[in-house]
Amino acid sequence: MTHRRTFALGSLAVFAVLGLLLPSGIRSLVIQIMIFSVFAMGYDVSLGFTNQCSLGHSIFFGAGAYGAILTIMHLKAGPVLSLFAGLGAGFFFAIVLGIVCVRLSEAYFVIVTAIISAVFHLLAMDLTWLTGGDDGLSATIPPISLGFAKLSLYNPLVNYYFVLLFLALSYLFLERVIKAPLGKIFIAIRENEKRTQFLGYNVLGYKLIAFVISASLGGLSGALYALTLRYASADYFSFYWSVLPVVWCLVGGLGTLAGPWIGVAIMSLFQYYVSAWFTYYLLLFGILVLIVLKVSRKGILGYLLAKGAK
Amino acid sequence: MPEWVVDVLFLLMNGLIWGLIIALISLGLSLIFGVMGIVNMAHGDLYMLGAILGFSLYPIVGNFWLALIIVPVIIAVIAGPIERYVLRPYEGYHSVTMIATVAISFIIQQIGLATYGGIPKKMPDPWPISFSILGVSYPGYRLLIAAISVLILVAVWLFLYRTSFGILIRASIQDKQMASAMGIDVNKVLISTFVLGSVLAAIGGVLAAPVTQVSYLMGNDVALLAFIVVIIGGLGSLEGTLIAALGLCSLEGVMAFVLTPTQSKAAIFVIMVIILMIRPRGLFGGKER
Amino acid sequence: MAECRITANETLLEIRNVSRQFGGLTAVDDVSTTVKRGEIRGIIGPNGAGKTTLFNLITGELRPGSGKVLLNGEDITSLSPHVICQKGLGRTFQLTFVFPEMTVLESVWVGLYSRKKHRWDLFFSKAERSKDVMEEAIEICQLVGLEDRIYERASNLSYGDQKVLEIAMALSTGPSILLLDEPMQGVGPKEADNMVELIEKLSKRMSILLIEHDMDIILRLCHNLTVLSFGKVIAEGTCSEVGMNKEVQRIYIGEEM
Repeated sequence: MTHRRTFALGSLAVFAVLGLLLPSGIRSLVIQIMIFSVFAMGYDVSLGFTNQCSLGHSIFFGAGAYGAILTIMHLKAGPVLSLFAGLGAGFFFAIVLGIVCVRLSEAYFVIVTAIISAVFHLLAMDLTWLTGGDDGLSATIPPISLGFAKLSLYNPLVNYYFVLLFLALSYLFLERVIKAPLGKIFIAIRENEKRTQFLGYNVLGYKLIAFVISASLGGLSGALYALTLRYASADYFSFYWSVLPVVWCLVGGLGTLAGPWIGVAIMSLFQYYVSAWFTYYLLLFGILVLIVLKVSRKGILGYLLAKGAK
Repeated sequence: MPEWVVDVLFLLMNGLIWGLIIALISLGLSLIFGVMGIVNMAHGDLYMLGAILGFSLYPIVGNFWLALIIVPVIIAVIAGPIERYVLRPYEGYHSVTMIATVAISFIIQQIGLATYGGIPKKMPDPWPISFSILGVSYPGYRLLIAAISVLILVAVWLFLYRTSFGILIRASIQDKQMASAMGIDVNKVLISTFVLGSVLAAIGGVLAAPVTQVSYLMGNDVALLAFIVVIIGGLGSLEGTLIAALGLCSLEGVMAFVLTPTQSKAAIFVIMVIILMIRPRGLFGGKER
Repeated sequence: MAECRITANETLLEIRNVSRQFGGLTAVDDVSTTVKRGEIRGIIGPNGAGKTTLFNLITGELRPGSGKVLLNGEDITSLSPHVICQKGLGRTFQLTFVFPEMTVLESVWVGLYSRKKHRWDLFFSKAERSKDVMEEAIEICQLVGLEDRIYERASNLSYGDQKVLEIAMALSTGPSILLLDEPMQGVGPKEADNMVELIEKLSKRMSILLIEHDMDIILRLCHNLTVLSFGKVIAEGTCSEVGMNKEVQRIYIGEEM
């Protein structure tokens, strides 16, 4: 699918250029778009490539954010290390959750991941000594020391390109995986899970791998978000953060890796502008989702790719 | 009788009655899933709508019981078109349908917020009489909730098991394709099921309104509990849902004697995980290998 | 009529007293049969006799209520389907069961790749680069006659071609016994002929257990038959032996054998 690749690399290039051109307000918005694109792309591996519709990804997002903030606060870690802590948190919880949930059939999987995510949210709100509850935790982010220079994330440009770097790395990693045999196995599982099993594959094991990859990227994006906002709160575990990735992927295009970036862009721009003048912007959000789903079930990129293929 | 026993029985009674309300709501959820294959993320908000409508209608019609009858009609009028125009086009595409219900949930919640406001309110007791049970006074309205819920559950049971349309609905749970091939108008079954399920949730809301805080967010906690019940009981199994609802809520009620609310929620959660590890389809759900 | 060309007396697949109930219904009732190396055995019987359920019990999709299934002497009764497949049992499904968005070549590749013992390249090398696997995939496509459609998406194939793809995918796992569930169902006469030729070709390399309704095909291909009715084995033997069985004749009244 070279069209998908072109789109992704093109977008990355556009991001790279925009960083230098944009005024600071919009630039912050684009940083958020890039962070959420990591989240959305990771989620696509779960839903778009192995048909696992998880409603629990807020667990990994929240865990990633707290992984980063807590390691900075208590272990005096630098930004890059804290990112890996966030990624590791996502990875860890994914394995624990995955062992319970991956074996569940479609609807059970959706509901149980939603339930577990709600429980994590309740716990996070309760354990205020650890998480700061709703108020959350703020941290001062130390600069990245490169030996010859120190880069502070408080510099918006540094923040921007730091996030872009990890978006690019995540994308290149996933592209590699999808092109590799593992990716083909994922697609086979999506296309016909039982058939794949009857070709000799331990499908549950592969679904778990996809789930863990997806969750780790969720953790990474949570960490990037916490570093950018210098703040993590129990709110990151809320159901809203579990729903958003699904919406991004459905709107942007499942199974395309970069399609969800479009979903992120649309929903983020929508929220940025609409919530400013309309208090009940979630109402319009709901309506927008219904409209987009009506137009194309395959999402926008999926729709465009299908048209192109004809 | 020692005091702690009376206390526990009191809690058990409360839990059981709450369990009856939850049973109504979970039954609706289970039906919608069983017949339509839809994970209805807006179910809690239909409960909320029922409660808010009940709360708002009470001063207008002056009579709680009249409100109890009017609200289901209003909900039916809302739910029908939702199924027909929003959900049915995506039939078969489960993640899309589920997200559509999430969108509907957001919309309903925001409408609730805009019209009713963000502040939780208390509703007056529709039957402020107490009965003396075992030497302790027990609120009459709660007993009425129990009576009404049982009546409704029996009515639903009679409908599903004794009327011809009810049999059609149960046939569709078993095998929708087969039902359609046998000439059953599946569309009628779909819309009726969704309306029935939504009405059950809304009635639960009206009944619950006087004993809980009415707020635009009240659906979230209840939805969570309903989902846990349906998972433990087994998706699509109506008996399973009933047993799980009563069992879980009584248990939670009694646990409140020794545990904090958060701890009892955690305990329920652990029970759910244990059951899932042993039986991945719930106690009464689906086929085994 | 098919000649009996069983090369050795070695039993490849043994089904021993296998039963399975669903609620009150006994779908498979104390069924025993064997498939020897090099044999083509047909499973026939009226609709609902339990033939596909028997396949599901053999391949691990269902667990028998009682009885054993042995492959090459090894008890595979309670193994999971993917393990049983790895042990050398391939299967096609009654309705076409393909990967709609994957090409023919990719679909066959998936089966071949699962045979690889050490998947060091799982994560990082390009799937296309594993040349040996690709070459073998093309060979299988040539064997079944799909070589000019290897880049077509499975969903774009005709029904008959999809049925052939089913067989190609089952082959790709390198089975020693192939379970075919009504491979000719719904297929036109010319395509059916091609498939019969293909199955004959395959029978030289592996044993075959075949569910079929079409008597002509059964007679052309099978060495031996097992007849099921209401979940029970009512007759077993060569085609002529089975044809002379009174029970079988009663069931197939009107069929000329």
